[in-house]
Formats: sequence, C-alpha cells, structure tokens
Amino acid sequence: MTREHAPRPDEEQLEFREESASLVRITAAPVVWAGHFLVCYCAVALVCAKGWQTGWLQPALLAVSLGALAVIAWLGFRSFRQWDVRNTGDFSNPHGEAEDRHQFLGHAAFLLAIVSAVGVVYVTLPILMIGVCR
Amino acid sequence: MTGIAARKPEGPYPPTSEMLDEPVPEALGRAQAERLRAAWTAPKGWRYWSAVNNTEVGVWYSLTALAFMLLAGVLALILRVQLAQPESGLVDADRFNQLFTLHGSAMMFLFAVPIFEAISILLLPGLLGARDLPFPRLSAFGYWCFLIGGVFVLGSILFDAAPRAGWFMYPPLATKDEGPGSDIWLLGLSFIEVASIAAAVELIVGTLKCRPPGMRVNIMPLYAWYVLVVGGMILFAFPPLIAGDLLFEMERSFEWPFFDPERGGDPMLWQHLFWIFGHPEVYIVFLPSIAIAAMIVPTAAQRPIVGYSWIVLSAVGTGFLSFGLWVHHMFTTGLPALSLGFFSAASEAVVIPTGIQLFAFIATLLVGRVTMSLPMLWIAGALAIFTAGGLTGVMLAIAPFDFQVHDTYFVVAHLHYTLFGGMVLPVLAGVYYFMPFVTKRRMSERLGRWAFWLIFVGFNVTFLPMHLTGLIGMPRRVFTYPGGLGWDWPNLVSSIGAFVIAAGFLVFVIDLVTHWRGPPASRNPWNAGTLEWTHDVPEEAWGVRSIPHVTSRYPLWDDERLLGRIDSGRFYLPDAEDGLRETLITSVIDATPMQVQRVSGPTWITPLAAAFTGGAFILPTFHLWGAAAVSGTVAVACILWWLWRDTAWPPEKEMKDVGLGLRLPTYASGAESTGWWAMWITMLGDATGFASVVFGFFFYWTARPDFPPQGAAHPDAAWVALAAAGFALGWMATLAARRLNRRGRQGLARAALGVGALAGAGGAAALALSVLHLSPTDHVYPAILCAIVVWLAAHAIAGLVMQLYCLAGSLAGKLTPSHDADIWNVTLFWHFHTLAALTGCAVLGLAPRVLQ
Repeated sequence: MTREHAPRPDEEQLEFREESASLVRITAAPVVWAGHFLVCYCAVALVCAKGWQTGWLQPALLAVSLGALAVIAWLGFRSFRQWDVRNTGDFSNPHGEAEDRHQFLGHAAFLLAIVSAVGVVYVTLPILMIGVCR
Repeated sequence: MTGIAARKPEGPYPPTSEMLDEPVPEALGRAQAERLRAAWTAPKGWRYWSAVNNTEVGVWYSLTALAFMLLAGVLALILRVQLAQPESGLVDADRFNQLFTLHGSAMMFLFAVPIFEAISILLLPGLLGARDLPFPRLSAFGYWCFLIGGVFVLGSILFDAAPRAGWFMYPPLATKDEGPGSDIWLLGLSFIEVASIAAAVELIVGTLKCRPPGMRVNIMPLYAWYVLVVGGMILFAFPPLIAGDLLFEMERSFEWPFFDPERGGDPMLWQHLFWIFGHPEVYIVFLPSIAIAAMIVPTAAQRPIVGYSWIVLSAVGTGFLSFGLWVHHMFTTGLPALSLGFFSAASEAVVIPTGIQLFAFIATLLVGRVTMSLPMLWIAGALAIFTAGGLTGVMLAIAPFDFQVHDTYFVVAHLHYTLFGGMVLPVLAGVYYFMPFVTKRRMSERLGRWAFWLIFVGFNVTFLPMHLTGLIGMPRRVFTYPGGLGWDWPNLVSSIGAFVIAAGFLVFVIDLVTHWRGPPASRNPWNAGTLEWTHDVPEEAWGVRSIPHVTSRYPLWDDERLLGRIDSGRFYLPDAEDGLRETLITSVIDATPMQVQRVSGPTWITPLAAAFTGGAFILPTFHLWGAAAVSGTVAVACILWWLWRDTAWPPEKEMKDVGLGLRLPTYASGAESTGWWAMWITMLGDATGFASVVFGFFFYWTARPDFPPQGAAHPDAAWVALAAAGFALGWMATLAARRLNRRGRQGLARAALGVGALAGAGGAAALALSVLHLSPTDHVYPAILCAIVVWLAAHAIAGLVMQLYCLAGSLAGKLTPSHDADIWNVTLFWHFHTLAALTGCAVLGLAPRVLQ
C-alpha cells in the first residue's frame, strides 16, 4: 500500500519504528485460539454439569468458532501485508534492518495465524461430530 | 525532574564503518583488558563458592543436575533388576513404590527442567555477547535452592521415607499416605519450583534486555527464541502446581478437605492442576533441547537455518497449544465425551508445529554440506527416537486407543521415547557441542561415539519391547508379576538394555571427567557462526572483551573482521575504569543501547538466603512450624539485606562513556529498568497461581452439587467490603507516593507510603476477620474460601514489607525523586496485588449470594 504514493519524509520512520507491542502482537492469533478453546470447554462443562437447557449450546459454540476464525483470518491478512513478501520477495528477512524486523514479525504472525486457525477447526470438529453433553 | 530528563543515550548510534575501522592503541587495549579482568575475576580458594557469575553458577547447576540424573538412573536400574524375572524378591512393594516415584520425580524436577535453566544460564550470555545475565545473584540463589531441595528430596530414599504415590501424587492415595513421603515431595519440589520460576525470570529478562546492540528480534539466535517461549511457559505452567501443592499440603497438615469427597472435596481438582502443569512441562523440557539442535544443525550443515520464521512459529505455536492438552492424561477418568474430544483434537493439532521444526532441520541438512560431527550424530539419533515417540503420541491422543493401553507399559515406552529423543539425546549433543565453549577443551571423539552407540542401542533394546509388554497387558508400577503371561522375555530384554544404557552413561561420565585434562580446544572448533564462539581461549572471566554491534544472524560467518574488533576492544564497554562489573542493557525489540547496568558480584548472602528459604520449606515436613517461621523470617531478612545493600542506589555518576562515542545512563527506573521487567514477569506467574486457586472455587461449583452446601456459613460481607476498601486505598496511596516522589514532594510521598501500609495491613486484617467464624476442616466450601484469604494475606504482608522498604529508602537517601526504581517496582507489585485482592473479595463477598 505504501508504494503507490510519494513517500512522506517521516513515513519510513513511522512504519518501521520500534514496535514495542509487536512481540505481544504476534501472539494475538494463538490467544484467540486459547480463548476459543476455553469458551468451548467451560461452556460445555458448565451447561452440562448444571443440567441447564442445552439446545442453544451447539449453534452458539459454532457461531463462536466462526467468529474466532474470522478474527484469526483478519489477523492473518494484516500480518501477511506486514510481511509484504509479494513486493520484497524476501522469505527469510535475515538482515539487521528495521524493515527486516518489521516484515519478519509479520511473517511469524502470519504463520501463527495459520496454525491457530487449524487449531480452532480441530477443536470445533468434536462439537460438530459428537454434539454437546454426551 | 532534570536528573531523569538527562538520562538519555547520547552520541552516535549505530556506529559507522569508519568508527569501527579506527584501531585501538595497543597500550590502551592492554590497560583496558587488565581493568576488565580485575573486575570480573572469580573469587579464589574457599571464597570460590561465593561466586555469582554465570560461568561458575552455570557449571555448578549443570553438574548438580547431572548428578541427580545419574542417581535417578541408578534407581531405574534397581527397578529393572527387580522386573527382570517374574516373582523376584529383590525389593518389596513399598520400596519399589518409592523407587519409581523418586525416579520419575527426580528425572522431571531435578534434571529435565533444571538442566534447561543450567545450560541457559551457562550459554545465554555467550550467545548474546553479554557479560552476564542481569541478576547474577538471583541465578546463584536459584542454584542453592535447587541443590538444597534436590538433596532433601533424593536423600529421603536413604531413610526409607521417600514419596511413594507415583510422580503425579494422585489423591486420595497420596493424601492418605502415612509417613512424611508425600510432604517431602510437596514441600521439597515446591521449593525447587520457586527456584525454577526465579531462573525463568532471569532468563526472560536476559533475552529481552541484554542482547548486543543491533541484535533485533529477527536476527537473535533461535536458542534465545526458545528461551523466551519456555520461560513464558514456566510462568504459566508452574504456578498451578504450586497452588495445587499449597492446597494439598493444607489438606495433609491441617485437614482442609480439598481433595476429600466425603467433605465436598474432589480429587479431580488435583489431577487438573497437576496436568495443567504436567503437560506443558513436557514441552518445557522438549523445546530447549530442540533449541540446542537449532544451534547444532546450521553448524553441521555449514549454512544458515532454513525457515527461521517457521521455527519461531513452531516454538511459539507449540508453547500455546501445549496448554490445551492436559486432559489427555485423564482420558480414563470418566469425563464427558465432548471434553475428551476437545483435548484429543488439540493433542493432534500440536503435532503440526512440533513437526514443522523437525522438517526445518531436515531441510537445512538437505541443502547444506553436512559434516557428520559427533554432536550431529547425537542429534540424528534424537530425531529418530523422537519421531518414534511422536508417532505413539499420535496414537495415544486418540481417546479410545488410550482407554486400551492406559497405565500399561505402552505408555512407559511412549514417554521414554519422547523424553530420550526430545530431551536426553539433544542435551548430550549439546554437551559435546558446547564443551569447547564451557571448559575450553574438547571431549573425546572416540569415547563420544562409544557412548552414543551404547545409549542409542541400549535405549531401543530397553524400550522398544515395552510397547509390546504394554499391549499384551502388563500394567505399569507393579512391583512383580507372575510368570507365563508372555511378559517374561520382554522384561528380561528391557532389563539387559537398561544396563547397556548405563554403560553408555558410564563412558560419557568418564569422558566428561577426563577431558578436563585434555588438550585445549581451538576457539571455534566447529566453524560456527554465532556469537558464543568469539569466546576467549584460555578462559577470561569477562565473558566478552567488548560487546559487538551485530547486524546478522550468523555474525561470525558474515563479518570476518568482527572477531578482531571484539578482541581489540573496538566495540562497546571495552573497559572497566570504575572497577565495577557492568553489562549493556538494550531495548526489547531492536536492541538499541539504553543503559549500562552495574551487576552484582560475589557474595555469601545468596547461599545464606537459600539455606533459610530451604528451612522454611523443609521444616514443615516435620511439623516444626515455629522453626519454619523463624527460618522464613530470617530468609526474608537476608533477601532484604541483599537488596538494600547492593541494588538501586543512586550511582556516583549519571552517565558513562561506553565506547564508540556513545554515552549511556547508569541508572534506570520504571519500564526501562530490568528490575521492573523482572517484577512484571514474576507477578504474571504469581497471578496465574492465584487464578488457579480461584479456578478451584469455580471447579467445585461446577463439579459438586452441594457447593456451596445448604445452610453453610458465608464470609461476613461487611468485613469483606471493608477489606476491599483497604486494599484499594493501599494501592492508591502507593501510586500517589510514586507520583509525589517523582515531583519532589518527598515528605508527602512518605506520608502516602505510611497511609498505604496501614490501609493494606488493615485490609488484610479485615479479610481475615471476615472468615474467622468459618471452620475449614468441615467442608471444602469454607476451606477454599480460607485458602483464598491465606493467599491474599501472605501477599499483603509482602506488599507491606515493600512499602516500608521504600519508606526506609526514602529516609535513607536511597530512593530520591530522580532515582525511584524501587517504588516503581513496588507500585507494579501493588497493581497485581490489588487486582488479585479485589477479585478475591468479589469471590468471598458476592459469589456465595449469586451462586446459591
């Protein structure tokens, strides 16, 4: 996106400045996975153990799963853009430049988004196949 | 304010090539080296044991862990002799129980986790071109705790008093067990877990803040990534077990019925807490060993690792996913099918990141020109064995298969395949690979190959037949078995194999002992590319002559002038003109230089503090409560003395020349200081522990129909409300004190600290009064409420001590408006403490009314 207009003088500095939150940001997708896992496990444990009404549970959990996947997809898309491999062709970012660090963090976050998405799908499968409270 | 505003790095950064080309005058270089050597020399004679430098502590730590491992191995040999034949009478059932319990516990808690910390303490500063880790005394304290706790736990077997309920200590067997065995396990290992958390804090802060200038996160050695991930996992995995230990010990000592179903308790809570720790722990021991492989493989292939980002992904991904697997240890406990499904699914998912890193290694080896060096041989063996263990893991993750082989020798075979392949062999590879760095001598190629083949063959002879023994029905943990069930010959083969492994370890130990007299190694014997191989031969205690500016992942391969510049003192901190031990602190993401940190030197206070801390943990085993309390108080006094004397005093000069024209501050407070990060990380672990206790409350509520029981007495709501107010006021006053102090209003800040101390102590007292009428021995409901109060009260005491410490510091001129690191850290503690306290008050005051 940044390549299509004349660069502002401070642009590079802004884009590649030290992202103090970015180490935490690469864990965003796995955190969504963990949240999804916890919600599913706790909801099932609670509803079934307490003998509450269960009809709504399966569709609700599937909706939660779709929501989690959507968030992960958005995170993945953002980090794919940050990685910027289609413009740079650089898959490894081995240099000690701010730009490399920026793209590397995008790459790592992108890969983590894929693994997290697979994790969410795996955990959703039992809800689909076994059904709740069995 | 002026003091703080002036504390900014000054001068050019990064260094230009002209600056680096300029030679250092030879006489100056010699004088600098002389001063540096004087500052870092290890103490001599009997004072040697007061050393705190990572090179000394790391060696003690590694050798102690090795010794514990060998002892635990001897226990296993006795087990195998007993099982070699049916109806054998070498040891009786009780002794057999002690042997396998101690074998598992010692291998896990006294070897697998500590050896990660030991090796990392030893290697990490070298990998990062740092002089030392940020808190050398914390490493030393952790080591002494480990030694004392380990000797206590292992020594119990000599008195026939060892724990004997299996390494996971399931109640009711372990809670009802007579004798001190279970207490030794609970208290001794809790003590060591505290030391592990201390090491994790040290290593995380070291990786984040002590990297050399220019080493951004995308070029740090993969080992450092693994240290970060594993350190983080320790913070979230160990506290649930510590919380579980606390509940368990209160049941054993005071009859609080947390796991006793007759009084509303539930043994399943222990299983959950144990395995929330226990499964991540498998990865806590696996990932650092794979990290060693990630250092050896590129060197063996003589090219950069393939898929650096992929390995980072797999380390972080495994770290997360490994927390979603714990119930696969509990597949046969009668949980609902859907719960099993969740954990089965996550267990299969974790294979993906785990597999990715192995494929990255194989890819690196495929595209490189591999020299089959001795370390690489060990890694190859490890990959083969681990893959086999991983495959049986995939089988076991399928719940119906697990039902069939649960508690049989199939599981024993699986776990040994993963641990030998995923941990033991890579660590041995690391020993052979890094020994020239550690002792400046090489180990024997010939003996090393002998050790490898003996251990590799012996391992497979021992454990491959166990898959079969398990499938044909032999349960684990039986002290003997009748003949004629088809179990005879596989057991005999396994026993023979065990002695072949032992022979391999014997060769290894002989090699290790004799290599100290061998010829010196060359400086970079494997032609590796990472910073640790810039070390000095013969050894210099300073770690690195000057701290380089790094611009690539394999600086030794990419920059042939790097070594010469390091040696001549061209880079940062080439001198110790103040005669102090110093290391460079850099920023978290991009490693720009921020501060010169003075690190502490040799002292006797760390072993002393560890000994009294040990007393506080060990004496309760024998119900010597008074002595334990005294010992604990003395331990706290030792730690306060250590902090007061040697940390965070205003420096004699605010700024210091570090070379290449750069001037850095010598003091930092708040988020810029290493101490603040350490507090943050510690409190994250602490919060996890508290969350585990609160989880217990809600677990009982979902699992038990009689929770809270009909007509039960509840905490007094008025006192609880007062307590919440007290904690909130204590927090606000502490925060106000920090701000007032920064603005130069020291008198008001002291007053605020006093008010905060009174309010916090009052809050704790009110909380205690709110549950005074409850009887925690009657039912689990009052017991878990009282456990929450005990937890919060202990933290309130710590918070009070910290406030008074700051007050004293302010009066003594240690804490000033511009030198306020102490009160920043204390405020951070209070943020966490207040959050926990308000959560606790909500559970105590509101939950009973809402839930009934």
